[in-house]
Amino acid sequence: MKTFRWFLILFAFLLGVGAGLVYGWFIEPVEFFDLPPDALRTDFKTDYVLMTAEAYRLDQDPAAAARRLALFGAQPPYSIAAEALDYARTNGFADTDIALLQELVTAMQAWSGINQ
Amino acid sequence: MKRPLYIFWLLLSLLLGLGAGLAYSWQISPRPLNGASPALLRADFKDQYRSAIAAAYAATGNLPRAQARLALLGDENPAETLSAQAQQSIARGNFTEADQLAALAFAIQSGANASLPPLPIETSETVSVEPSPLPEPAFVLTETPEPLEAPPVETLPPVLTSTPRPTRTPLPTQGAPFRLIGQETVCDPNLPEGLLQVIVVNASRRQLPGVKIVVTWETGRDEFFTGFKPELGNGYADFLMSPGVSYAVQIAAGSEIVSALVTPDCRTSSGETYPGGYKLTFQQP
Repeated sequence: MKTFRWFLILFAFLLGVGAGLVYGWFIEPVEFFDLPPDALRTDFKTDYVLMTAEAYRLDQDPAAAARRLALFGAQPPYSIAAEALDYARTNGFADTDIALLQELVTAMQAWSGINQ
Repeated sequence: MKRPLYIFWLLLSLLLGLGAGLAYSWQISPRPLNGASPALLRADFKDQYRSAIAAAYAATGNLPRAQARLALLGDENPAETLSAQAQQSIARGNFTEADQLAALAFAIQSGANASLPPLPIETSETVSVEPSPLPEPAFVLTETPEPLEAPPVETLPPVLTSTPRPTRTPLPTQGAPFRLIGQETVCDPNLPEGLLQVIVVNASRRQLPGVKIVVTWETGRDEFFTGFKPELGNGYADFLMSPGVSYAVQIAAGSEIVSALVTPDCRTSSGETYPGGYKLTFQQP
């Protein structure tokens, strides 16, 4: 009888742990804010790169485009642009957007070569 | 173990377990974030995101797309936020960025033409053949100038009614003097007494932020800039005149001098007098 009671106490503890995990992970999960750009979802990252490509299409300033892409950290700009291009190609972006991204990748590759 | 003591231990272990579970899920190992939205970015990164949106809008003129992107940032009033950021850009001396931000803010505020013609996009095949087929942006506005007949401020024609790209000439160019196109006496008891309002617009009647205005009077001089009250317009600035003092106003970049501005006497409906103000509108030809 005594052992059974201790078992119930342990079971209550484990039940509490389970309830706490469910509440903390699913019902009221931690809210994130003030995040770095690296945390952006891939589609948002790609859209940002697309914005950079659109701006580059107008100003033809690879340094300015590289500065915009530097938002994502130390990764080389052409690599960031290339990842966005891959995502755009595999996720059905419009041909015009893909063309813009392709142009940006080319420009960033050339610009990176100049600045190495 | 007696029964009350047993129930106490049972409840205590349940609560301890709950606390341990919460501590683990909130502190030790929160549920990983599978990709954040731009609304969760730090404020300075949001600013960069906003700048990119404005730059993309300047290139494409695609207002619905820009608005959809801005919506991701979760700003309560995107136009105001853009205007405020434009002022910060001016303060940093980044006039191109300020121009793009202000243009997008203006387009949103005025519900401007959402179908500005997009720039022609090359296919990958033509990239290597055509050198640089970008249209020269400066031509866009100059092809469709609006007639300037010095109309009163209230009757200004709607801005951005058709295809001019709104981001090419919003900032004043050196050496282009402004001219006074409107001077009104303002009698509004709801406004501060002696309020001198100045509005500066460019040739296409878009309000210009960052324009320095010089006010002089017999014993002093003051300078102020347009755009510090974006809620009243990017080209708006004001100054409080003292009663009985004669002021002269001029745009620092060059304009005719509006002189002998003395606080006018206005009357309420009950016949009481109070100091009124002026509204001056300058335009860059």
